[in-house]
Amino acid sequence: MINRLMEAKTENQRLLVFLQLFFLFWTAFGFFYFAVEHWVIDHFLDSFGSQIPFYVALVGFPLSLALFFTTRKAVRLPYTVWMAVTIGVGLLGALYHLLYNAGDAGVSVFSISGFFEAFTDPFRPVLAALAHVNIGAVGIMVGLTIQDESADEE
Amino acid sequence: MIPALRSAQTPTTRRIEWLRVVMMFLLLMSFAMYPVELFIIGHWLDTFQSLIPFILTVPGLLFTAWVFFFDRSTPWLRTAFILTMWASIFVGLLGGYYHWIWNMLDVGGVQWNWGYAMEEFHGYRPVLAAMAYTYMGITGLASIYRAE
Repeated sequence: MINRLMEAKTENQRLLVFLQLFFLFWTAFGFFYFAVEHWVIDHFLDSFGSQIPFYVALVGFPLSLALFFTTRKAVRLPYTVWMAVTIGVGLLGALYHLLYNAGDAGVSVFSISGFFEAFTDPFRPVLAALAHVNIGAVGIMVGLTIQDESADEE
Repeated sequence: MIPALRSAQTPTTRRIEWLRVVMMFLLLMSFAMYPVELFIIGHWLDTFQSLIPFILTVPGLLFTAWVFFFDRSTPWLRTAFILTMWASIFVGLLGGYYHWIWNMLDVGGVQWNWGYAMEEFHGYRPVLAAMAYTYMGITGLASIYRAE
């Protein structure tokens, strides 16, 4: 991406790459920062489920960093796919937080009061898991709006 | 943002507008959902400072929705949106700072030694969570940057 900024010919191309770089920075930062944050709040437990955010970051962070320096397909495609995975992980994380909370409290999420109790249980924050959806959504937009090197436009 | 996406002529401008629309959509969702989340977790208290994020929601939601759906060119509207985003950035930073200070005041007063300060960094009031508003403001500023 950095190279593309250097080589952008028109003002619009420069603006596009600038915005992509800006949001790529937040994607990379998000992976790093959420991994640290999850570690600090003791999210890394014996269960596989609790380790998933770390594995997502372990792949996502280097891929995001790599995209700063190259936009070749071998990096861009896995990066974009991984952003889609990250969105899925965020959605599933929120769902499982909700279900686990409901399980601990012994309530059903299919009743209004049960859903509300599971949703507001601070032990597993339901909406916080959606932060990964944000990382993935920002990241996937960067991946999807990168132009092919050969495309000669305007 | 939506009208600009619809009228974008070249592949490059279409990509720019797509980026902006998605970022602004995430921003709109944040301004809509954070007050709900804050209300659920009991952030609405008797103190003025506990109401600040809710107060910020009013211009935040209004101007973001307006810029997103209708108009990003009218000068006063752009200025109002940009000022709201800067307000969001500072609300986030100040919120994080004061969460930290109040965590320390609840325990043993403000002391900036590493072990104690880090312990209270993860105290009752989440310090980093407040900075979601900072991130939202930055997203808004980036989205309207050079968008005429």
